[in-house]
Amino acid sequence: MRQTVQELIERYQNNLFATAFNVCKNAQDAEDVVQDTFIQYHASKKEFESEQHIRAWLLRVVINKAKNVNRTFWKQNKVSLEDYMETLSFETPESENLFETVMKLPEKYRIVIHLFYYEDYSVQEIASILQITQSNVKVRLSRGRQLLKESLKEEWEDDK
Amino acid sequence: MTNKEKYKQAFSVLQTSDDFKKEMENMVILQRKHKMNMAIAAAIICLIFVGGTSTAYAANIGGIQRVVQLWIHGDQTDATLEIKDDGSYEMTYQDEAGNIVERGGGGIAIEEDGSERSLTQEELMWNLNSPEVDYLEDGTVWVYYLNQKIEITDKFDENGVCYVKVCDGEGTIYMTIKYQNGWSMSMDKYIDSASFNF
Repeated sequence: MRQTVQELIERYQNNLFATAFNVCKNAQDAEDVVQDTFIQYHASKKEFESEQHIRAWLLRVVINKAKNVNRTFWKQNKVSLEDYMETLSFETPESENLFETVMKLPEKYRIVIHLFYYEDYSVQEIASILQITQSNVKVRLSRGRQLLKESLKEEWEDDK
Repeated sequence: MTNKEKYKQAFSVLQTSDDFKKEMENMVILQRKHKMNMAIAAAIICLIFVGGTSTAYAANIGGIQRVVQLWIHGDQTDATLEIKDDGSYEMTYQDEAGNIVERGGGGIAIEEDGSERSLTQEELMWNLNSPEVDYLEDGTVWVYYLNQKIEITDKFDENGVCYVKVCDGEGTIYMTIKYQNGWSMSMDKYIDSASFNF
């Protein structure tokens, strides 16, 4: 099956942006990556099994492209994370603290944490998207949770 | 609130800019016209080919449009290559299944003072001649360079890093490949895997 780019933009632009930002830590880079991901979908003739298949494909592509942006030596982070955060309107101080704490995690933990807590993916699904083993996902998820708990203390529950 | 609810509340502040959708629609239109987009330009600079399933080799550079010998997974075929004044290129060739494939790209170089300029034809052709890494659906991993095809599926170490050296008779390229996590190359030595995409 295929869906139009317009439909996908409407439905997933903010989710993909949040995921790309989670990797890039830069809004402009993240938008560029999301745009390029939609362009790649548009250019691709790939047939998908379901809408969930499309969603997973988009997330995989956006993550890989965001990683590529991170490794380029000419990356232009014109706006720092701190400056960008000042433009965001968090609902509560706890939300801002959680956001900031997550962004301080190593990239490999951030992505897994984000796919689990924001995109509601299971360990198996995360492993499929990131093309790593389920045990690797579990380790990263556990370590990421542990780091969040150490920083956020009572603001973050113990969950397994 | 559960941790998921807290997390979603915190990250719901991340929204694309107001102009995003309009820009996106414009980009789709441009893409239809096979225009170069910034992401492709960026990929060329980091020696990554978007949608790259082939490596090109050409010995005849200088004109506007020419036929070059294109290497696709180790097999040579003819391609029409057009290099434009702005450093971008468009390439057309026939794949193994007989389909006409169009690829485009381009790039910029950054000078020591940080200024940007278009790639020269020589630089562009050097990039087109670069090796590539391909992950196939059957799980195997391959390096392609000109007429060389090397399977590296089982060559990754415990850290998911593989080191490959390819030669063309004139020079040697040292590749450091991180499994599903990008790669770097150098003409002098293997790039430290810890120095990129960490």
